[in-house]
Amino acid sequence: MKNLLSFFKGNTPATVGTIIVLVFVLLSVFAPWITPYDANKRVARGHQPPSAEYILGTTRSGKDVLSQVIYAGRISLLVGFGAGLLATIIAVLVGITSAYAGGKVDAFLMFVTNVFLVMPGLPMIIVLAAFLGQVGPLSIALILGLFGWAGGARVLRAQALSIREKEFVTAAEVIGESKWRIVIVEMLPNMVSLIVGTFAGAALGAVMGQAALEFIGLGDPTVISWGTMLQWAQHSSALIVGAWWEAIVPGVAIALFAGGLTLFNMGMDQVSNPQLKGSKNLKRWKKLNDELQAQRKAKLAASKASISKKSAQDGVMPV
Amino acid sequence: MGRFLGSRLLFYIAAFMVAVTFNFVLPRMMPGDPFEIMFAAAQGKIQPEQMAVLKEQFGFVAGPWHVQFWDYVKGIFSGDLGPSLTYYPTPVTEIIAGALPWTVFLAGTSTLICLIIGILLGIFSAYNRGGKFDSIVAPALAFIGAFPQMVSAMLILFGLGVFLNWFPVGYGYNPDIDAGWTLAFFGSVAYHAALPLITMVICGIGGWLFLMRNSMINTLGEDYITMGKAKGLSTRRVMVNYAARNAALPVVTAVAMALSFVVAGALIIELIYNYPGLGNEMLGAVASRDYPLLQGLLLIIVVCVLTANFLADLAYFWLDPRLRK
Amino acid sequence: MTELAKQQAEILLAIRGLSVEYLVGDTRLRAVDQVSFTVNKGETVGLAGESGCGKSTLAFALAKLHKPPALIAEGEVLYKGRDVLSFDDEELRRFRWKETSVVFQSAMNCLNPVISINAQICDVLSAHHPEMNRGELQDRARELLQIVGIHPDRLNQYPHQFSGGMRQRAVLAISLALKPQLIIMDEPTTALDVVVEREIMDQLSELKQQFGFSILLISHDLSLMGEITDRIAVMYAGKLVEIAPSEEVLFNPKHPYTKGLVNSFPHLLGEKKELTGIAGNPLNLYSPPAGCYFEERCPERIWLCKSTDPALITLNPQHKAKCHLLG
Repeated sequence: MKNLLSFFKGNTPATVGTIIVLVFVLLSVFAPWITPYDANKRVARGHQPPSAEYILGTTRSGKDVLSQVIYAGRISLLVGFGAGLLATIIAVLVGITSAYAGGKVDAFLMFVTNVFLVMPGLPMIIVLAAFLGQVGPLSIALILGLFGWAGGARVLRAQALSIREKEFVTAAEVIGESKWRIVIVEMLPNMVSLIVGTFAGAALGAVMGQAALEFIGLGDPTVISWGTMLQWAQHSSALIVGAWWEAIVPGVAIALFAGGLTLFNMGMDQVSNPQLKGSKNLKRWKKLNDELQAQRKAKLAASKASISKKSAQDGVMPV
Repeated sequence: MGRFLGSRLLFYIAAFMVAVTFNFVLPRMMPGDPFEIMFAAAQGKIQPEQMAVLKEQFGFVAGPWHVQFWDYVKGIFSGDLGPSLTYYPTPVTEIIAGALPWTVFLAGTSTLICLIIGILLGIFSAYNRGGKFDSIVAPALAFIGAFPQMVSAMLILFGLGVFLNWFPVGYGYNPDIDAGWTLAFFGSVAYHAALPLITMVICGIGGWLFLMRNSMINTLGEDYITMGKAKGLSTRRVMVNYAARNAALPVVTAVAMALSFVVAGALIIELIYNYPGLGNEMLGAVASRDYPLLQGLLLIIVVCVLTANFLADLAYFWLDPRLRK
Repeated sequence: MTELAKQQAEILLAIRGLSVEYLVGDTRLRAVDQVSFTVNKGETVGLAGESGCGKSTLAFALAKLHKPPALIAEGEVLYKGRDVLSFDDEELRRFRWKETSVVFQSAMNCLNPVISINAQICDVLSAHHPEMNRGELQDRARELLQIVGIHPDRLNQYPHQFSGGMRQRAVLAISLALKPQLIIMDEPTTALDVVVEREIMDQLSELKQQFGFSILLISHDLSLMGEITDRIAVMYAGKLVEIAPSEEVLFNPKHPYTKGLVNSFPHLLGEKKELTGIAGNPLNLYSPPAGCYFEERCPERIWLCKSTDPALITLNPQHKAKCHLLG
C-alpha cells in the first residue's frame, strides 16, 4: 500500500490521470442512479440548447445528451477496458515467452509481432467488420484486443530480456526453480509498472479505435456509445446547424477519458524513467546555480574595483 | 548494408503475403454466401454469367484450397484485382489509381510537417526544460492531440471552414478547374488540402513533440554531451550534432510504428472532409458491400504502409553509422 | 624574482576552498568540502580516494562541468591567477579544452556514436581556431592520431569500430588537440584490462615528456598513481585529508585513512603480509558528524576526534594532513 501511495507522490500526471479515469468509472457504474432521463427515450424537442432542464441539451431526435453521454460511457469504457485487458494478456504472454524461450520460438513470435505492428490496423478491422456484417460491442472489443497487443508485446519482451540477464534470475535457475516459478515469482513483479502502462496504452487505443469504428458506421446502431453519438452528430450536421452540444459533448467525453489515460501513462513513464520526473527541483537548482554565479561575479567585480583603487593609490598599474 | 536492408525487404514481402492471405481467407470465413451478397450489392449491374468471372478473381476456382490460393496470388501479382461492384465494370485498379495520389499526398505531407515541426519544437522544449513552452504549450498540444480526430476535424471544419470561411470544406480541388499541370490547378489543390492538412498536423504534433523532447532529455544526460561542452563547442553545435542527432534515432524508429495510425487518421479525415482519397472510397465500399474494391483498397494501403516503413528503415540506416558494419 | 614570486609563477592551477553541494529535495549535501591544493606547471598530481569520496565531483567542478543537482557553493579555481568559476560564457568556452582538457572514464560513452572520429577532432579544432581550413584540420587530426599510436587511415571510422584501448587513445588524442597546459583525467584506465592500461600509461608518460603538460589524475588505484604522479592528494567524504609527494604518501603516510588505503594494496615483492582493510561503513552525508569525518572508522582515534574536526596541519611545506595526532 505504501508503494502505491509513493507512486502518486510528486507525480502530477499520474494523480490527475487516475482521478479522471476513476471519475468516469464511477459515473458509468452509477449511471442508472444519476442520469436524469432515459437515454433512449425522446424527452423533448430536437436540438434544444443546454438549459436547466436539459443540462447538456438534446439531440436531433430529442434525447437528453447528458443521460446519453453517461450511458454511452458504459459501453465505451467496457469495450476500452475489455479490449485493453485482452491485448495486455496477449502482450504479456507473447512478450515474456519470447524473451524467456529465446531461439526459434522467439524468432517466430517476433515475426508475428512485427507483422501485426506494421499492418495498418484500422483498414484491416474495417474490412473484417464489413465481411462479418454488423458487429456488436463484444465483437468490437474482441477484434480490437486481437489487433492491439503488438506494441506492448515488443516493449515487454525488451524488458523481460533485460531482467532475464540479471543475476537473480540466473541464481534462481541454478537453484533449480521451475521455469514457471521463475517467470511468475522473479520476473513478473519487476515488470508490473510496464504491464500497467501497457494496459493503459491498449485501453486508450481501444477507446479511440471503437469510436472510429462506430463513427464510420460499423458498430451496432442500437447500442449507444460515444462513437455512435458522434456519428449521429455528423449525420445531423449538428455543428453546422448550430447544435454544437450534440457533437462536442461526446467528443469532450472521449478526449477527457483519453487524456486521463494518457496522463496516467506519462506518470508511469516517470516511474520507469526518473530522469523525466518533475522539473520542480530543476527550477530550484537553476535558481540556486544562477544565484551562486551572480555572487561570484559580484565578488570578482568588487575585488577588481578594490585592486584598481589600491593601484590608483599606489600609482601602480592594476594586474 | 545490403544484409540489413535485405532482411527488412524480405520481412515486408512476408507481411504483404499475410495481408494477401487475410484477403483470401475472409470471404471463406464469413457467415452466408459472399457472392449472393455481392450480387445484391451490385444492384442488377452484374449478369449471373459474370459472377463466374468474379468467383474466379476471388480464387473460388475448382480444386483444393492451396490451388485456389496460388491462383489468387497469381492474380494479385499480375495486377488483376477484379471489378468494382458499385462502379461496375470499372476495374478496382483504376479506382485505386485515381484515389491513391490524394491519400499519399495527404498522409505524406502531414507526416513530414508533423515530424519536422515536432522535432524542432521537441528540441526547443527539452533545451528550455521547465520553462514556459515546456510546461504550458507542449502539454496543451499533447492534450489537443488526445482529442479524437473526428472531433478536431469537425471543429476545424466548422471553425475555419464554415464560420470563418477561410478554406473550402470538401473535395480535392475545385471541380470547375481542369486537372492538369497548371498553376491554377495546384493552387486549388493546395487550397482544398489546407483544412485536412491543418487537422492532421494539429492532431499529430503533440505526440512527436513529446517523443523528441523525452528522447532529448535522455540524450542530454549522456557523457558525450558533457564532453562536447568540455570541448568548448558552441551550444548550437552540441545541441544539433551531439544531442539532436542521437535523440532523433528513436523518433525515426517511431515513425515506422506510427504510420498505421497516420493511415487510420487519414481515413477519418477523408470521410469528414469528403476528400477523394483511398479512405473515402473504402468507407463508400463498406456501405455498399463492394468486397472486391474493399480488398483491393486494403492491399494498396498495406503496400503504402510497408513502403513507407521501408523508407523509414533507409532513413534510420543513413542516420546511424552503427548499422553499417 | 623572490622565492614567493618564483613559486607563484610555477603554479598552474590553484584550488581554494572549493565546496560542491548536491541539491536533494530541500537538503544540500556537501560532496566536496573546502578543498584546497595546487597543481604546478609540468606536474602530475594524483587525486585518490574511494568511490563516492567526491573526487570526480571535484574534477568536473574545475571546468564548471558540474551537472544538476550539483552546485558549486564556495571557493575559487584559479587558473594562472584568474578564477575560472567566475568566467562568463564566452571566456569559459575559450578556456575549455584550450587550457584544460578532460579525459573521461569510459571512452565509449564520451565519444559521440554517430559522427566520425575525424569530425570529433576537427570540431574542437575549428571551434577554437576558426581560421584553419579543411586541409589544415585534416592534417592536424592525422598528426594527433599518429601521436597516440593510431593509424591515420582510421580517421574516418566511428567509435564503435575501435577496440576499448584504441578508443581511450582516441580520447587522449582529442584531449591533446589544442595543446592544453592541464589535462584532467578521471579514472582513465579503470575500464581497461591491465595490459592495455600499461600501454596507455606508457604512452601518456611519453606524451608528457614530449609536450610538458600538467596532469590531474583521479583514481582509486594508488599503486597506479605511485608510478607516474609527483604528488598525491587523498580525499575522504569530500574533504582533503592528506597531500604529499608520492613516495611520502605511499611509504610514509601520516593520516590513518591513507595508512589504511596504502595497506589495502599488496606489495608485489617482499614477504606476504596480512592485508588490513578499513573497517566500518562510508559516511552518511545526510547527517555528518561534528568532529572528524573519519573518526568512526579510525583505529587511532582519540577523545578529541569525536567533538572537533581537525585542521589541515602542515608537517613540512610539501606534506599536509588533517589529523589531531599530528598537531
